[in-house]
Amino acid sequence: MNISEQIITFAGESLTLTNQGVLFWEKQQALVLSDLHLGKAAHFRQNGIAIPSRLAADDLEKLGQLIGHYQARTVIITGDLFHAGSNKDTDLLTALTNGHPGTGFVLIRGNHDRLPAAQLHSLGISAIYRQLKINDIAFTHLPAIEPDGFTICGHLHPGVAVQVPPYRTLRLPCYVVTPRQIILPAFSRFTGLDTRPVMPPATRYAFYEDGFIAIPET
Amino acid sequence: MVVAPTGFGKTFSVFLAVVIDFLNRPEQFAEGMKLLWITPLRSLAQDLARAMQEAINEIGLDWTVEVRNGDTDPLIRRRQQRQMPDILLVTPETLHLLLAQKGRDRFFRSLQCIAVDEWHELLGSKRGVMAELAISYLKSQYAGLRIWGITATIGNLEEALQVLVPYPGRKARVTAQEKKKLEIISVFPPEVEILPWAGHSGSRLVEQAVPLILNSRSTIVFTNTRSQSELWYQLLLEAWPDFSGQIALHHSSIDSHIRYWIEDSLSKGRLKAVVATSSLDLGVDFKPVDTVIQVGSGKSVARFMQRAGRSGHTPHEISRIYFVPTHSLELIEAAALKEAVKTRTVEDRTPVVMAFDVLVQFMVTIALGGGFKADTLCGIVRNTHAFSFITQEEWQWCVAFITTGGTIGAGYEDFHKVAVQPDGLLKVEKRRIGMLHRMNIGVIVSDAMMRVKFTSGGYVGMVEEYFLSRLRAGEKFMLAGRVLELVRIKEMTAYVRLSSGKGITPSWLGGRLPLSSNLSHFLRQKLAQAAQPGTREPELRFLHPLIARQQEYSHIPAEDEFLVEMIHTREGYHLFMYPFEGRLVHEVMAALIAFRISRLYPISFSMAMNDYGFELFSDSEIRLTEDQLHQVLSRDGLMQDVVSSINATEMARHKFRDIAVISGMVIQNTYGRQKNNKSLQSSAGIIFKVLEAYDPSNLLLKQAYTEVFNQQLEEQRLVAAFLRISKSRIIYRQATRFTPLSFPIKVDSLRQSLSSEALAQRIQKLQNSSLKPGRKTKR
Repeated sequence: MNISEQIITFAGESLTLTNQGVLFWEKQQALVLSDLHLGKAAHFRQNGIAIPSRLAADDLEKLGQLIGHYQARTVIITGDLFHAGSNKDTDLLTALTNGHPGTGFVLIRGNHDRLPAAQLHSLGISAIYRQLKINDIAFTHLPAIEPDGFTICGHLHPGVAVQVPPYRTLRLPCYVVTPRQIILPAFSRFTGLDTRPVMPPATRYAFYEDGFIAIPET
Repeated sequence: MVVAPTGFGKTFSVFLAVVIDFLNRPEQFAEGMKLLWITPLRSLAQDLARAMQEAINEIGLDWTVEVRNGDTDPLIRRRQQRQMPDILLVTPETLHLLLAQKGRDRFFRSLQCIAVDEWHELLGSKRGVMAELAISYLKSQYAGLRIWGITATIGNLEEALQVLVPYPGRKARVTAQEKKKLEIISVFPPEVEILPWAGHSGSRLVEQAVPLILNSRSTIVFTNTRSQSELWYQLLLEAWPDFSGQIALHHSSIDSHIRYWIEDSLSKGRLKAVVATSSLDLGVDFKPVDTVIQVGSGKSVARFMQRAGRSGHTPHEISRIYFVPTHSLELIEAAALKEAVKTRTVEDRTPVVMAFDVLVQFMVTIALGGGFKADTLCGIVRNTHAFSFITQEEWQWCVAFITTGGTIGAGYEDFHKVAVQPDGLLKVEKRRIGMLHRMNIGVIVSDAMMRVKFTSGGYVGMVEEYFLSRLRAGEKFMLAGRVLELVRIKEMTAYVRLSSGKGITPSWLGGRLPLSSNLSHFLRQKLAQAAQPGTREPELRFLHPLIARQQEYSHIPAEDEFLVEMIHTREGYHLFMYPFEGRLVHEVMAALIAFRISRLYPISFSMAMNDYGFELFSDSEIRLTEDQLHQVLSRDGLMQDVVSSINATEMARHKFRDIAVISGMVIQNTYGRQKNNKSLQSSAGIIFKVLEAYDPSNLLLKQAYTEVFNQQLEEQRLVAAFLRISKSRIIYRQATRFTPLSFPIKVDSLRQSLSSEALAQRIQKLQNSSLKPGRKTKR
């Protein structure tokens, strides 16, 4: 894994964006990510669509490595941890949570997270919130702008489409950073991108294997 | 197979043959469906059925003729379920739906003959493969079946017959002796200067078109794109306001009810003119239509003849078509078309082979309607032309794809589609999967469309979602000949109100038809002839001033010459080449030549192309000696260089869209409002990305690349073009101003650029320069 970082200041805090789709809040030792959509591939397969079955395991393995790399005490998932009901893939989460006993897994419930709380706890999720506030920053799933607060959210799967001549459109995932809000990219590989323009003022930090491209909108 | 132009009664030739056979030996015919009639067009079926029923009633038989397709009344459908009519008219899709029904055998038990109407329309498409598979299946069940194809003239009739009837046994080809008389009349402006050197609206010739319409009973004005048809509808109304209420607009984005009304009015003679796209190419005869106007080149001989045939239907009438050029060089295309029509050099329809997406869909269809044994079905599939070369491994892969969800990785147990029964039969077990499959049978993949409705109620038509999603409320666009203002978008419906003034015309994709290779051959010939003074052809004579100018500034290539122009202007350096091979081939060639030059020394180009040639532009000097020119035009390592110069992955990703839908990986139609369906939505792009990463040997993925090579890159044509160039004398001219040939390319806005820098460097460069996030543009 070739981790590349971009440090930004948000709500007076120093936050690290990574090109692996997770945000690291060093002061809190917290990894923040969104839209894992665990179980999506299995859900498709159950319905007769032949998606390769290794997807979920790979996503979780990557997350495990990142937790190790940053020595995270807390992992905050801002929603859509699961794609649909429970299936073979969702059980894989237990291995990850058991493998990191010193790390708390916090879920902000997203629109896809339909599993009952008891089941989530049994999979190793330590706390479940609709919204969580740490210092001045609120973690939500749906993008909501509070007039005088700061939010970190997911849901949209933001991305940019960059034209690279010839014939080439690079579609890259990105973080959307505005003065009051950060929209996180989707962590899972098996998700789409919303590449529609964003309202200024905002900076989109698009990332690829080797680094970042910052695209300011003013 | 019966070969005849439209209006020669070829329908009746096959239909009556079955009736006569019945009259001769009624004891051979049992109760139930006797003739299965496959037609590509839904709208055609209803009228055909009526005509057949009338004939049968006249004869005094008690046969019934019925249609079965998506529009069929559920009541009639249910009755057909119990009791099939004697003659059933279907589309390839409905036939597959019948095969997907439990107890399908009872439908076809008495079947004697399958007739495939308009086979030339199906042949070159995946719908043709659907027909092949269904026929092969039925043939395997009922060995005595007779199969008849009905086709218009195409270049590869023998192949067409072999594709439809690859089975041993007697094969016959019946060809109409009578030739359809066709007259092509070019419409000239009063002076050559009026016609622009470039452009594609043809708006300056509206004045010339109006009297043609006024002097005819009823006219169809064919355009090549939907936006052009919207434009011409407006132009005609402006040029002759009395047309209001007497002319109509017909294209595939217009509400089907309005279209039916237009078609009905046209056949009843209530409309003076209809501006149409290929949406009116096929279909029932409109008797009152006596004039056809084609705006812009039809780009293919077959299409042109088909459109001309919309006027003057009976064998003894002359079909007359007026050709309205949109720019001056198109007049040479008119001359080329005339020559091609005179010699009846009609294009081939290349049959589709190895379409695994269609195959896996068909396999699930058969699994759904009672199941199959893998070995038996393999034999049936191998009997078709499309899959005659399928290997055992490929077949096994397809079986795995529908039973275990692919050949790689674990997790077989969680995959549910087709299940192998203890007796070896492959069946669909889950009702839900069966329903989803039935709703998605077919190979026509449409862009996500959005309904356009008035806020006050009333439906206008359909427009591609990506066009509307770029509009803001209050912006205006044109549809169905009206200026509409967008009010809001809600749940896949755009609400609009009537407005006035200027609106954006949706630029629908796929409208740019490339020049066919037959036509490009005649085009080179005519251009060469144009250089000689004293030509008798009116188009070439009319163009003489322009041709003379080209000759003066540069050169007119003879048939065995290949022209290259290097033009130095204040702007920079332009390298033009004129292979006359059509836009698609030029796109590839331009990228290839740019790649080869940049291998000689680092240089960045932007590119432009049209059907005649292409341009490479650079602000730094393009140094190219005669030797180097021969080198970049060489045939050596051609395909290898092509692959390095283009981005095959991105092209394959585009091709994969259709494949994903057809193979059932992306679900186009869902039933009901069940929660589950939304969570099954995924775009083909994501699946492509995932497969590339996890399952690179996936056959559907490979098919996407094959389609890129065969259709997008037109490999064969490209190779043939380079062979021709290698045999030609290369004429290398320098000029200081744009020539009549180069100018249209110059103004072509479709610009792409290529540089020899690595991708990473380019990203860096983009990052440092003012990076504008690009919109996703489809090509």
